[in-house]
Amino acid sequence: MRKSKILLTVLAAGLAASSPALAKDPLRIGVPTSLTGPYVELGEEAKRGALFAAAEANAKGGVAGRQVIVEFGDTEGNPEVGRRAAEKLVHSGFKLLTGSISSAVGLAIGAQLEKWDALYISSINKSNRLTAESCNPRMFRANHSDAMDMAAVRPWLKTRGEQDWVVIAADYAWGRDSAQEFAAAAAAVGKNVKAQLFAPLGTKDYAPYIQQIKDHKPAGIWVALAGRDAVNFGVQGKQFGLLGSVFAISQSFAVPSTIKGMGDVAEGIWGIVNYTSTLDTPGNKAFVAEWVKAHGKEPANFEAETYVAMKTLFAAVEKADSVEPEAVAKALETVSLDIPFYGKVSMRAADHQLMMPNFIGRVARVDGQLKPVVEVTVPTEQAMAPPSPACKM
Amino acid sequence: MAIQVLNGLVYGALLFALASGLALMFGLRRIVNFAHGALYMLGAYVGYTASLQFGFWAGLAVAGLVLAALGVVLDKAVFRPLQHRDPLTTLLVTFGLALIAEDLVLSVWGNDTMSFAEPQQLAHTLSLFETTFPIYRLAIVGFGAAVAIGLVLWLRFSRVGLFVRAASHDPVIAAVQGVDTDRVSALVVAVSAALAGMSGVVAAPLMSLAPSMGADILVDSFIVVVVGGLGSLGGAFITAMLLGQINVLGVVFMPELTSLLPFLLMIGILLWKPTGLAGARL
Repeated sequence: MRKSKILLTVLAAGLAASSPALAKDPLRIGVPTSLTGPYVELGEEAKRGALFAAAEANAKGGVAGRQVIVEFGDTEGNPEVGRRAAEKLVHSGFKLLTGSISSAVGLAIGAQLEKWDALYISSINKSNRLTAESCNPRMFRANHSDAMDMAAVRPWLKTRGEQDWVVIAADYAWGRDSAQEFAAAAAAVGKNVKAQLFAPLGTKDYAPYIQQIKDHKPAGIWVALAGRDAVNFGVQGKQFGLLGSVFAISQSFAVPSTIKGMGDVAEGIWGIVNYTSTLDTPGNKAFVAEWVKAHGKEPANFEAETYVAMKTLFAAVEKADSVEPEAVAKALETVSLDIPFYGKVSMRAADHQLMMPNFIGRVARVDGQLKPVVEVTVPTEQAMAPPSPACKM
Repeated sequence: MAIQVLNGLVYGALLFALASGLALMFGLRRIVNFAHGALYMLGAYVGYTASLQFGFWAGLAVAGLVLAALGVVLDKAVFRPLQHRDPLTTLLVTFGLALIAEDLVLSVWGNDTMSFAEPQQLAHTLSLFETTFPIYRLAIVGFGAAVAIGLVLWLRFSRVGLFVRAASHDPVIAAVQGVDTDRVSALVVAVSAALAGMSGVVAAPLMSLAPSMGADILVDSFIVVVVGGLGSLGGAFITAMLLGQINVLGVVFMPELTSLLPFLLMIGILLWKPTGLAGARL
């Protein structure tokens, strides 16, 4: 009884809101993401981000009068499975894709886009390759690349007093890239990287790595570990008295999911902060308030970043007044829009990278809760790395 | 370097405490228990929940008791009905149970990685070999040693231990001599499950809680049991210590081969001694 009443109300509201939209095709967005597997926590964030953006648009009568429909597929964090999940979405009419976690999945989807007549806008993939050697007319990135994170780090690193550094990174493409870029950035500003250590993905006992780091007596460490690896390294590093006595900065430590896993250990750790709910701007405060109303807690980084990709896609659909992937891709190349927490952002046509500011911060206690807090805001002009010459559209 | 040897000892001790149960079960029932990692994971979660209310030590005790009870149920409901079937059936059933346990934990505790603080008394460091070393890690070595000594004393010098040895040598003759082998088997599975659960609690302050933690460590514990000689406690002890050292020395001297070394050790030893280091003696 109650259920049917709610259903009727929703239907009535939908009819009232979408009467002008009836004439136009709906905007169908496919989200192939990690619904199971090692990145499931991040996949859930991507899912919530996409649904929130869609609900927000639909509440205002859709995007240019089009209703937004989101459909999900499970990539399991695996490029082969991810490619198949995306293909299935495309064949069911969801040709505008976003929300994959692993860069490997994003690259696997990217290679098929022209054949599928589809489009992909990354919201989480950091690998430089998406906007460098693997770039193509149908692939876009609305989040920060590794090169952008490093462009933000370089001037900041110059101001730091720590001279000797050690890198500890996950032993696969992302960790290796991150280590290499950090070493180059450090050399450019006259710092020493005394050692680069690589731990296999899923390492349980970090003690031998921690001891090696201590033997080098660095003043600072650069940590490129994510998810559970980051939590284990953090907790064990604290037990050995490494964290707390040595300065630590990381690409993915200072994010809510990792902070939650580490507990008090996370306090004081620095990190690249691509988004945090504590950003002190009126636009962000309004966004956080809306998010809290819908979810009962503050938005996490991947939720907000997927929201950015969705909004960018909406802006392009509005501009093209079409949902055809070719027309939307064309419009995306020069799209610009306002994001509540970043301000004005625009797409760079040369490599399809969204241009936006970046942040460096540390984990601190805000109202009794540990959160990433911004220490350095890097404006868009300084946050951007130049387009890679390897990208040929 | 001495400190790295100590690091190896910590992981070795933890592996032994976990794998000893696997060895015991195989010795007695010829069961290859793929759910052993799941018992370790369940123990960690149960202990975590209890510790939130009553502290670390109560968590450890509760995990041991709950898992022991679960072990008895497992023996009565699964291992006993399947004991005359093809061993492959039991293996597949335990594998299925591990998947169910993982999903169960997922729906009760969720997918977030959680950390479990070590007890206050042990949350300090000690100056050792000109560096600092966490006292909690020394306590893990102590835990492994206590498990080893406890099991040896129990099996060698108690009446029940005698029954266990008799039943694992030849269950039929032992039963004819008046040993209640079903009871002995329930006891052994309970002890094994309790050890797995307590190892989970002991490991949790180092390795954080996640539903996949059992599957992650199961491979290493199988290497310990297979290389040691299926069913041999002594063999498992030596292999666990060896694996702990290889793990650490690999990271220091051959970082590219770290993930491969345990498997190379296994292949090497099995080629040299196909029944494992200790053969099939308990």
